[in-house]
Amino acid sequence: MLRLWGRTSSSNVMKVLWLCEELSIPYERIDAGGAFGRTNEPFYLAMNPNGRVPTIEDDGFSLWESNAILRYLANSRAPSHAIYPTAPKARADVERWMDWQLASLNGPMTTVFFTYVRTPEPERDYAAAARARDEAEALWRMVEARLAQRDYLCGDTLTLADIALSPYLHRWFALPIQRAGLAKLAAWYDRMREHHAGFRTHVAVALS
Amino acid sequence: MITLWGRANSVNVMKVLWLLDELALPFSRIDAGGAFGRTRDPDYAAMNPNATVPTLVMPNGYSLWESNSILRYLCRTQPGGNAFYPEAPETRADVERWMDWQLGSLSDPMRVLFWTFVRTPEPERDMAAVAQALPQAGRLWGMLEAQLASRDYPAGAFSIADMTLGGFLHRWFSLPIERPEMPRLRAWYERLLERPAYRKHVAVPMS
Repeated sequence: MLRLWGRTSSSNVMKVLWLCEELSIPYERIDAGGAFGRTNEPFYLAMNPNGRVPTIEDDGFSLWESNAILRYLANSRAPSHAIYPTAPKARADVERWMDWQLASLNGPMTTVFFTYVRTPEPERDYAAAARARDEAEALWRMVEARLAQRDYLCGDTLTLADIALSPYLHRWFALPIQRAGLAKLAAWYDRMREHHAGFRTHVAVALS
Repeated sequence: MITLWGRANSVNVMKVLWLLDELALPFSRIDAGGAFGRTRDPDYAAMNPNATVPTLVMPNGYSLWESNSILRYLCRTQPGGNAFYPEAPETRADVERWMDWQLGSLSDPMRVLFWTFVRTPEPERDMAAVAQALPQAGRLWGMLEAQLASRDYPAGAFSIADMTLGGFLHRWFSLPIERPEMPRLRAWYERLLERPAYRKHVAVPMS
């Protein structure tokens, strides 16, 4: 059976949990990372020298990097599923937004999240959080424009791109920050909550 | 013909130039980004609302941004591309893991080092940031040093993972910094330097 290493409060672990639920992939999960430690122990580093979560083990093959894991699970378990379309342009569109999450959205959203959720109040750098919030809002506006013609990020149905962005989307709406009124973004958030149990169960949970 | 938007000294543009050359695809390049501007113009924003470079435009008008996604798209659609992007789920995931690692881990500390020494005048350099980024980058390159114990390239065979990492590798060995001894990393760099397209587009003077 697929084995997943990683604590459930990690945004990157959440992505994999949701996909497993969406594709009905059986798995066992073992806590690691954060307060659970383990990621710097020799056995873990042998699987994942980057010392982060998640890591998966699949019949002797181990893999880390959450977005690469999403693609691998779709390729190996559901190669023709619409969640990871096979037509080159449709697939490139999905991959582009996954890369954008890693390279653009992740930085400012992590700053805001860590400030409000994982840093004790006296130690918070609110100026850095305010700058990051502004950056994040500009990025969410890109998604807002994108959603003008689509129900999901890349079309009419859920794809890996929605899953990759979803933990940040939930945090954006759950954090105690100012938000511009982005109606399409809010509708996308509501749509995923309404239609996808995996999102409700694993992603749209209390921040910790 | 394929059009590639982006200045030649962008590490992300270099990746695509390298692949286009490896695939012997004819293309024209238009300067954009950095001092060239253009990325905030409405016509550019219509192609790439992220206002970054590169943006690829195919002969039929289809456009795509995000450099690593461009590499995958070209490999998937152009003759010879599958040589650099293996299809079996495990080997493909091995390639993509290093591509994502570049985006999510390597690029931050390497950007600090590069910008400090190459794009910031000496009196304005934040050497405290360098002192933080240097060991971070060293740790990350150390991961590849270990990975290369059993293989010639990070994902086994030469692939788009090399094209994603090669620009940062060149900077690592070219910047005026103290580097821990990593003989396998050096051997990999020398292996890449044997490729004309790497020498032409990537292993060039830093600017």
